[in-house]
Amino acid sequence: MRTKFSGILTLLLALVVQLTFAQQKTITGTVTDDTGLPLPGANVIIKGTSTGTQSDFDGNYTISANVGQTLTFSYVGFDTKEVKVGTQNKIDITLEPGESLSEVVVTGYSTRNQTVQTSAVVSISAAELSQMAPTTSIDNMLQGKAAGVQVTAANGKPGQGAFVRIRGTGSLVAGASSPLYIVDGAPIREEDLGNIANEDIENITILKDAATTARYGSRGANGVVVITTKNGNRNKDAVVRFSSRYGTTSQINRNFSMMNAEQKMQYEAEMYALGITSASGLPGVTTAPGSPERQQLIDNQVDWEDYLLREGVLQNNSVAISGGAEKVDYYFSVSNDKNTGIIDNIKGFERLSSRLNVNFDAKEWLTLGVNVGYSRSFSDEPRDRNNTQNAFRATYDYSPYETVFVLDEDGNPLIDENGDPVYNLTHTGFPVAQAILTDVESAIENQTLANVDATVKFNKNFSYTFSTAVSHLNRRREYYAQPGGALDDVINLGGGSKTDSGIQRLDLTISNRLNYNLSNDKHNLNVLGLYEFNLNENNSYTINNRGFPSALLTTQVNGSDLRNGQTFRNRLTLVSYGAFADYDFKERYLASASYRRDGSSSFGSDYKYGSFYSFSLGWNIAKESFFDVSWVDLLKLRASYGTVGNRNGIGRYDSQSTVSFGTSPYPGGSSTAPANIGSPELQWETTVTKNIGLEFNLFNNRLRGVSDYFVRNTTDLLFLIPRADEAGVGSIAGNLGEIENRGLEIALQGDILRSADFTWTLGGNIIFLDNEIISLPDGEDVTPNAFNILFREGAKINEHYLVRYAGVDPATGRPQYYGADNNVYFFDTLPEGENRVLQGKSTIADKEGGFFSNISYKGIGLRTDFVFKYGNWVNNVVKQNYYGDGSNGNTVADNQAVGAFNYWQQPGDTDVLPSPLYTEEQAVNSDRFLERGDYIRMRNITLSYTFPREYLEKTPISTLRIYAQGQNLLTFSKFWGDPEVGISSGETIDFADTVAPGEITLYSYPNTKSIQVGLDVSF
Amino acid sequence: MKKVIYKMLVLSLVIGGFTSCDDELDQLPFDEFATDNAFVTSEDFENAIRGTYSALIDNPEFVALYSSSDAGSMLSAPDVLSDNVTLSQSGRTTKSILHNWRYTPAGGSVGGMYRGAYRLIFRANQLLFYAENYEGENKANIVAEAKALRALAHFNIVSYYGKIPTQSGDANGSLGVAYVTENNPEIEPARETVGVVYDKIVTDLTEAVADINDVNPAGRMGKEAVNLLLSRVYLYMGQWQNAINAANQVTTPVAPRADVVGVWEDTSDSGLVFSIPNESGTLGNNIGVTWSQGGINSLVPEYVASFELTNLYAADDIRKDAYIFLGVADGDPVNGIKKLLGRPNNTDGIVDYKIFRAAEAQLNKAEAYYNLGNESAARTALDAVRTRRYTTPPSGETGTALRDAIRLERRLEFAFEYQRFFDLKRWGLSITRTSDGDNADGSGTPSEELNLPAGSYKFQLPFDQISIDKNPNLVQNPGY
Repeated sequence: MRTKFSGILTLLLALVVQLTFAQQKTITGTVTDDTGLPLPGANVIIKGTSTGTQSDFDGNYTISANVGQTLTFSYVGFDTKEVKVGTQNKIDITLEPGESLSEVVVTGYSTRNQTVQTSAVVSISAAELSQMAPTTSIDNMLQGKAAGVQVTAANGKPGQGAFVRIRGTGSLVAGASSPLYIVDGAPIREEDLGNIANEDIENITILKDAATTARYGSRGANGVVVITTKNGNRNKDAVVRFSSRYGTTSQINRNFSMMNAEQKMQYEAEMYALGITSASGLPGVTTAPGSPERQQLIDNQVDWEDYLLREGVLQNNSVAISGGAEKVDYYFSVSNDKNTGIIDNIKGFERLSSRLNVNFDAKEWLTLGVNVGYSRSFSDEPRDRNNTQNAFRATYDYSPYETVFVLDEDGNPLIDENGDPVYNLTHTGFPVAQAILTDVESAIENQTLANVDATVKFNKNFSYTFSTAVSHLNRRREYYAQPGGALDDVINLGGGSKTDSGIQRLDLTISNRLNYNLSNDKHNLNVLGLYEFNLNENNSYTINNRGFPSALLTTQVNGSDLRNGQTFRNRLTLVSYGAFADYDFKERYLASASYRRDGSSSFGSDYKYGSFYSFSLGWNIAKESFFDVSWVDLLKLRASYGTVGNRNGIGRYDSQSTVSFGTSPYPGGSSTAPANIGSPELQWETTVTKNIGLEFNLFNNRLRGVSDYFVRNTTDLLFLIPRADEAGVGSIAGNLGEIENRGLEIALQGDILRSADFTWTLGGNIIFLDNEIISLPDGEDVTPNAFNILFREGAKINEHYLVRYAGVDPATGRPQYYGADNNVYFFDTLPEGENRVLQGKSTIADKEGGFFSNISYKGIGLRTDFVFKYGNWVNNVVKQNYYGDGSNGNTVADNQAVGAFNYWQQPGDTDVLPSPLYTEEQAVNSDRFLERGDYIRMRNITLSYTFPREYLEKTPISTLRIYAQGQNLLTFSKFWGDPEVGISSGETIDFADTVAPGEITLYSYPNTKSIQVGLDVSF
Repeated sequence: MKKVIYKMLVLSLVIGGFTSCDDELDQLPFDEFATDNAFVTSEDFENAIRGTYSALIDNPEFVALYSSSDAGSMLSAPDVLSDNVTLSQSGRTTKSILHNWRYTPAGGSVGGMYRGAYRLIFRANQLLFYAENYEGENKANIVAEAKALRALAHFNIVSYYGKIPTQSGDANGSLGVAYVTENNPEIEPARETVGVVYDKIVTDLTEAVADINDVNPAGRMGKEAVNLLLSRVYLYMGQWQNAINAANQVTTPVAPRADVVGVWEDTSDSGLVFSIPNESGTLGNNIGVTWSQGGINSLVPEYVASFELTNLYAADDIRKDAYIFLGVADGDPVNGIKKLLGRPNNTDGIVDYKIFRAAEAQLNKAEAYYNLGNESAARTALDAVRTRRYTTPPSGETGTALRDAIRLERRLEFAFEYQRFFDLKRWGLSITRTSDGDNADGSGTPSEELNLPAGSYKFQLPFDQISIDKNPNLVQNPGY
């Protein structure tokens, strides 16, 4: 799909519009490559005009031209050919692989041919996207696709996104390390990406180094992901494309076993025998093995995983219509996505999206464009917290002998006065099975992304573009603990409790661009001047009432006890000036420079403006006349240097001193409390990025590779700097500290086989990442809002800070720990003071990437994609809870893993769990359950069949593809449980507040696997 | 040519619309108020003084001076550190490090309250800073209240971290805390000597007494409250006559015997000099959680009244009913702590905060007169309390017996009321707990540590290491 862009670009660059009135004729033909395979999407343009078309899926094209005109055929990676129109009505053309890929790189402000661009950039086309795992959020799809892009799925909740980190973690405060996402010129938050329909995406370009990110000034420090939506083709009849897929989804199989009823009761008896008195009331103690009571418990046992969870349904249908006339092109789409998720009895996720993109040549010198997309999504928000209300936690905690309903002596459910069965509170005191039905939370999001623009061409060289881009999210969230529901029964809310909360997020960008372009045989120069204004405003509310007369009444007007009713508003603005220049000499010597000056309302009055710049150089060695190595098609060296900023991670008004009136109530009236101590010198944090890169294509472009080495140095870190306690102000936002990320990225692709019928491509990428905290405010350790993570100078970012577990004492069965002095101690002999240590074990993988294989044989395709992480550590608290040593962590009433039987029993036992006799000695924050998070996962496997053209000739169908696809079907990992850990517990630390994704397992929505079948048809 | 004009027109229209963008960079918060704008009118200053008071009490964001925090604060720590309570085995063992005097710079001290005190002090100083350029008619009273609060906060924390002037001969020259009067968030102040800190407390309170209203609205100090605090400060300083003079300005009568139970159930305000209404809607803080949770017969106590203390109340002493109740925890009868338990028929821990009571003026006077050698005046003051507590009050002591009677009465009157540790400390006494257990009859488990000898360095609590990390000028107390 890059080719569409190059087509449009070509059209735009065809500056002379000629109208002729000669007799036209229709020419048809097929564009193929040197092996005879059709080239879909090849550009066919009448030379010297803006008229052109593209070949269809089978390489066919139709164009009207005059005799004597010349047709230009071009395709990414192939040499362009020209044919003069004569008497022939059919022109078949074979393009030879070119000496370099001529992909177009979209930076958001401009586009540049891949051959001549000097930045570390990865471009992912629609064609590639369509081969990826169709999850409901695009950030998940980026994993393993681009070297240097680390992706951690937030969790498995339908519609949930991922944490994307480009070239490491660039900031130490929450919400500041994600890249900037730009959709058709409008920024969108990472967590809102699930509102974009994947089918509408034309291209995702990931900008990694300063040569391009510096053009985004104070927002680009952590990389930029530029998402472009699709456009139609000019002079082409409408193509209707219909896609549909259907499948099922389920929890990824657990790689461990929990106890069944018999085992659990045996365990309870063993614990009681060891003196765990809290087991005394449990059925393993109160019933005798072999007794009828015990047998009844076994007979009525419940598989809670099976009961609370289900096999969910995935469904997607989309229709897209695209095409164009001489002066207009359009793309229209409607799609519907459903993912019920794996919790039984709730709806899950559903999204309806629609989009219309139109470009229109209003005058010879004036082009107007509009891209508008709207989506509405519904999402159930099941409890994602580490307590008894969490359904996933319940699937582990509930002992299998605990039944769904309270049973009578005959094993039949007890019936309440209303004739309903009585739910079993279980030992946790909370009936999740009931709460799923009566205590429901859901969110509805309406997302509008709209961009309108006008381009005026002054002359051959100068043009001006004005655009406004809007990203507007209207989110409404409702949480109703119904009267008479589980929560109301358990904690007596007094007739239920309903919370409505919502937010309107508006992001508006108004952009003015003046473009100068000079192009001749030797020199190509493009200069862009930018003047931009960005406004971001949030309006939110929250209302809570209790005392509802009926579960059927959900609006606040029905409540009788108003507890909360508040609205909030904040605003952030940005004014930007910029000048960007790209130059190349005969495509051999390349240079780019950028300068941007950003003013942000969030900074101190004298520090609002910051300047960001970059320089980059490139050398296409293979284009030199002296370079004569026939098997080298492309050899390019490039280097860049630049500064980029970040302004996220602090409050919008942190530079100002403010007071608030709602936070410190006191009898007698309003009361004033200091809300923020202003930091008048507050400014952006700055990242200096150095990058050198090498690009090569060898052996007739059959082996393609890119490698980059980078150093990112971030200074003036935005931080809440703790003040002296005696100052009485807590922490004040400021700029202090420094971190460094450096790494090597390698991406390789090779065509193992390349013939007319059979191609086989292998590829992969990896990043080797290293990071260090160089300095912190006052050199002091910083404890972020995370679980036992500590920032210390000289350490890696996000290292776990725990006491080291030293195994079981074989003589006594007591757990042992290392003191800070590296000697081994028991719980009660640990030295006074701090025994937790940093061990270089971070949540951040130091090697990450993906690899794929793509085989195609006569229309049959088999594509597999793998992703991997290596070197990250996860504190596996979920495992800890089920190796409870009697009661540590949870209670002995909680079900346990079968492995919990393997505890120390007699002197000399090794390779065992500690004796439950010392259960309270587990209360140390130790690294006993800190595990490597390494994994290799087969993210996607797709088997597809594309019907040959001859089968379809007699039908109105032009292309037809059917496929079966599996996602996450295969995982290689030693981790206990699922190794893809992102959010630990979403209601404890939510997406936006997460500093250390993947730090700890804590019952967030698990990841899922799926199998789907689908078809794509166009006519 | 026409084309060019069109183009210029389009260009000028779009650019012309957006020339004033730079103004858009000056954004003010919607949900908060610029500090400079919040100190202008008389209402602003009323709001600000309430905001300063609010730093005394529970706040979801931080531990306050009189907060019910599990980490300990004024509401609990002076008794937890002393001989008035026994750790309950049925509770959550909160504050047990304090109780067992095992605090270290790494934890267990009252650092949260220390920070809470300085938050209050910052609010007071901010108000005082803005008051300099304010000339409203309520200025004098507001400034007086701010100074009184600033003094109260400093006085409370110096009592924990520093020696008390009468505690030992070296006390006044030893390090107290930093007395902060600056409105400056950047300070890293050093500790000042106890003598200097007490002098500054007296200065603030003396200035406050001169200007403060006789009576201020509910929840705010008036002239009597400041005088009562001043009398205690002088007592701690050993300035006996000044303590008497200040106490004499407290005219609120001591609550009569009939009102004593009601005072702690909020059905009577007899004898209250400074208290903070704790009504749901405005506050409704469960402050009783600092001692216990649950109902009378399903009590989860953190601490119980020590068996020794319970037995010190004579049978005809109304305070036994007012301060202690018989509860059941884990099936065992226990001596629950009642002062913060709840209003009538309630155990939700929601009662008004009682900060100062008139009885203290009498007991301060009794102690001061005794130290001046005026035993009859001392007895008069002592009996002013005793006659309102017992049906047949003890009386007529002389010499050391009188001294001990005054001390005993102070313990009985202010048990669980934020004084005992400081009293033992300033009298230079050891803390001695009996080995009785946590049950009502003295059976059960005693507290682990029973004795803190007089003169122990642990009478001065350690500063948290994190406090020292943040302020390099903060010197740790000896012994830690």
